[in-house]
Amino acid sequence: MTPKWIELVTGSLDDKKRYRRYKERVAALPVSYRTAIEGVGRYLAYTGPGDSDHLMAMFDDLADLFEQSAADGVPVRAIVGDDPVAFVDTFKRNYGQGSWLTKEQRRLTDAIARAEEIAGDDDAGPGRGAGAI
Amino acid sequence: MGKQMTEMLKGTLEGIVLAILAARPAYGYQITAALREQGFTDIAEGTIYALLIRIEQRGLVDVEKVPSVKGPPRKVYSLNALGRSDLEEFWGTWSFLVERLEALQREGTKKGTAK
Repeated sequence: MTPKWIELVTGSLDDKKRYRRYKERVAALPVSYRTAIEGVGRYLAYTGPGDSDHLMAMFDDLADLFEQSAADGVPVRAIVGDDPVAFVDTFKRNYGQGSWLTKEQRRLTDAIARAEEIAGDDDAGPGRGAGAI
Repeated sequence: MGKQMTEMLKGTLEGIVLAILAARPAYGYQITAALREQGFTDIAEGTIYALLIRIEQRGLVDVEKVPSVKGPPRKVYSLNALGRSDLEEFWGTWSFLVERLEALQREGTKKGTAK
């Protein structure tokens, strides 16, 4: 599967430039920070926001965090904590979410609302009280 | 840090950071350092950073970019009027929780010793 950011990035020249700038910032980091940010970036590219504006803003902020932490001498583990997945999930929540997830969440909300609407029909329906646990 | 502490902090960390910023403006690293001094040793730098981005998006803080000797410019966060009213609400919620939980604890202790 092609990560969705590739399609997004090839979409607009501005985004392409912005993404290239991000890659340059990553390349300039000390090796341990670079290894960590690449891992975070990969996870975000698959699970992060579905639109390029949010995605690019997120990458910019990510680069800020790692550059500043490298300058302050904060070790990689202290940046991402004991649970890197928890950190990245918290971090990406600031930038919207993948469009497929938004769609599925709306479906779930709609399904429950529909269920609530038709709850009155349960009285007339079959099976009520018949062996329901 | 225990799992229970981690879970409880999730709901209160924003209030804690607002309270720190109420005392004085600070940038991310200073906030983490202040937390460490108060015994919150295992909070990730990145978690605080993500939280600062969130409270900035919600308009609770004013942000000033200050050049730094090493590394990129630092973002210095200061609590604004909206942030102060949010913090006030946090303390209200906190007081309510503390009061309820202490009542539960007293009740539990009383029954425990009545045997």
